[in-house]
Amino acid sequence: MKKLLDRNLKVFLLYALVVFLGSVPVYFFIVDLIWRTELHEHNMIVALRAKRNFELLTGDTGSLNNSIRAWNQIQPDASIIPVPAVNKDSVYTVYKHNSFTGHVELDRFHGLVTYFTVAGQPYRMTIETNIEESYETIGAITAVTAIFFLVLLGGFLLLNKRLSRKLWAPFHKTIDRLEAYDLKSQEHIPLPVTNIVEFEALHRGIRKLIDGNLTAYLEQKEFTENASHELQTPLAIVQSKLDLILQTQELTEEQSGIIENASKSLSRVSRINRNLVLLAKIDNRQFTDQEPMDMAQLLRELKADMEDFIEEKELRFDITASQPCEVVGNRALAEILLTNLLMNAIRHTSTRGNVLIWLEGYTLNITNTGATSLPEDKLFNRFSSAAVHTTGTGLGLAIVKEICQLYGWSAGYRFAEGWHHFSVRFTGNTKE
Amino acid sequence: MVVEDEPELGADIAGYLTEYTCEMATTFSEALEKIGMYTYDCILLDLTLPGGDGLRLLDILKQEKRDDGIIIISARNALTDKVTGLTTGADDYIAKPFHLPELAARIYSVIRRKQFSSTNVVDQNEVRIDLLSKKVFVNEKEVALTKKELDLLLYFVGNRNKVISKSALAEHLSGDMADMFDSHAFVYAHIKNLKRKLSEAGYGNYLKNIYGTGYKWEI
Repeated sequence: MKKLLDRNLKVFLLYALVVFLGSVPVYFFIVDLIWRTELHEHNMIVALRAKRNFELLTGDTGSLNNSIRAWNQIQPDASIIPVPAVNKDSVYTVYKHNSFTGHVELDRFHGLVTYFTVAGQPYRMTIETNIEESYETIGAITAVTAIFFLVLLGGFLLLNKRLSRKLWAPFHKTIDRLEAYDLKSQEHIPLPVTNIVEFEALHRGIRKLIDGNLTAYLEQKEFTENASHELQTPLAIVQSKLDLILQTQELTEEQSGIIENASKSLSRVSRINRNLVLLAKIDNRQFTDQEPMDMAQLLRELKADMEDFIEEKELRFDITASQPCEVVGNRALAEILLTNLLMNAIRHTSTRGNVLIWLEGYTLNITNTGATSLPEDKLFNRFSSAAVHTTGTGLGLAIVKEICQLYGWSAGYRFAEGWHHFSVRFTGNTKE
Repeated sequence: MVVEDEPELGADIAGYLTEYTCEMATTFSEALEKIGMYTYDCILLDLTLPGGDGLRLLDILKQEKRDDGIIIISARNALTDKVTGLTTGADDYIAKPFHLPELAARIYSVIRRKQFSSTNVVDQNEVRIDLLSKKVFVNEKEVALTKKELDLLLYFVGNRNKVISKSALAEHLSGDMADMFDSHAFVYAHIKNLKRKLSEAGYGNYLKNIYGTGYKWEI
C-alpha cells in the first residue's frame, strides 16, 4: 500500500523531470541564438567602423595600403583582402584552433564577411569573434537544470512530509475515531472539526452513515426488548393454565404426559426469552454494580449447585483452582458467564465423560471430552448451536461473549485430541 | 390480594390458590383503594399497572408501616427492579413466567414468616418442620434431610393436595439450569430419598406419584 501523497509526488516529480529535460535544448537554442545575434551585431559594428575609417582614406592609396597591411597584421582574426567584385554579406560559424590562449580544444568562432570599396577597389573584410562552444553551453545548462531539479526534488520531499503530517492530520484523526468507534456505545461519533471541504464532506458522509446505523441498531434493540417483555405475560398465562389443568380430577396419564411436554417446551421458550432480555440489558449496560470477586470461590459454589447434573451423568468433574483469582465485575454477570460455560461443558459431555477446569493466573480453562471440533467462527454467535436437537437456547455462549466484551475479557475455543477447550482471560480490570 | 393488570393471569392465580381467599385488583387506583380498606396476609404485586408503578404502592405500604406480606410478580424481570423491590420492603420477587406451585410455595413461606416470627414450626400429620433450625421431626424423632430434600418437603407443604409437575420441581431445585436437560432424573432421585427417609421414620405415604409425570402431597 502506498500513501496517497507519495503517489502524487511521484507523478509530479516525473513531470518535472520531463519538463526539465525538455528545457535543456530550448535553453540552449535561446542562449545560442542570443550569443550569435549579439556577436553578429558586434562584428557588424567593428566592420562598419573599420569600413568608415578606411573610406576616409580615399585618395591616399599609400596610407590605405599601409593601414590594410597593419590591420591584417594586428588583427589576426580579421582580414581585409582586395577582391575583384563586391559580393553579398554573409555569416559563418567555424571551429578552429586558436593560437593565442594555448587551448588544446577547438574554439568556436562566429564570422562576418562583408565588402567595401575604397577608391574604386573592392575589398572583402572578414571579422571573427570567439563564441561559447555549444557543448559547453549545453553542459552548463544541463548542470544548472540538474541542480535546480535536485533542489525541487528535495523541496518536494520535505514539503510532502510536512504536508502529510499537517494536511492529513484531521484525516488520520477521523480514521482513528472510526476505528475506535463501537456502535454498541450508542453514541454519535466525535469527529474533529475541519475547514477542508473534502474532509467535511467525508465527515458528513460518515455521520449520516453512523446515524442511520445507530437508528437501525436502536430500533432493533428496542424491538427485541419490547418483544421479549410483551411475551412474558402471555407466557405466564400459558404456564399457569398448564399448572391448573394438572389439578383437574379426571386426567389420564396420556393427557398429563402431553401437559408435561408442553410445559417443557414452554419453559424453553421462557428461557430463550429471558436470555434475550439479558442480552439486551448487557447491551444497555444496565449492570453497573461492580465488586471484586474470587473466581475460584465462585467456581466452587457453582459446582455445588450443579452436583445433581454431574451425578446424573456420572461425570468426572474436577476444578483445580488453588490460587484465588480476584476479578472486578458484576457478580450476577460473572455467575451467568461461569454457569453458561460449566453447563455447556456438562451438557455436551457424554455419560461418564470428563470435565476438567483449572484456573491459571487470570485465565480460566474449561475442557471436556468430545468427539469432533465445533465451528469456532460461529460458536459464540446467537442461535448457532452446533447441535440442533439439544434443549439449549443457543444463546449461552453469545451471552458469554457479550459479558466478555463488556469487561474487555477474551473468550476462546479450540479443539485438540478429543477435548473441547474453552478459555476466558480476565484481563482489563483485574486487580493485578 | 392479587394486583395484576392481566385479568386472565389473576384469575388463574386465584384459581390455583384455593386454600386462600383471593381479592383481585387490576389497576393502580383499585389496588390503592383496597389497601386502604383492608389488610392482607399477602399481596401479589405486579409492577406494571395501568395508572401507576407498582413500586409506588410498595412505598405507600411501607410508609404506613403495614406488615402485609408482599411478593412482586413482574414481567420486567430487571435486576434493578428486583433490588429496589426488595430494599423497599417486598418479601420476595418472582419473575414472569412462573409455575403456580412455585408462587404458592413462596406465598406459604412469606405468610408463615409473617405469622410466626419467633417459633416457625409447621405441623403436618406426623411431621413437624422447624423452619428456623431447619430440622424435621417425625413422631418427635429427628430425620436428617439434605438441604434439597428439606426444600422439596417445604415446597410440597406449600402446595398441599396439588399436582406438581416434575419440571416445576426441577426448576424450583436448580432454577435456570433445570431445563437445560431433557431428563429430570435428579428430581426423581431426591424425591425417592425424601420418601424413603420419611417412611423409615414412620411417616405415612402421603407423597404420591401422579400420572407418572407429577407428584402430589395428599392430606
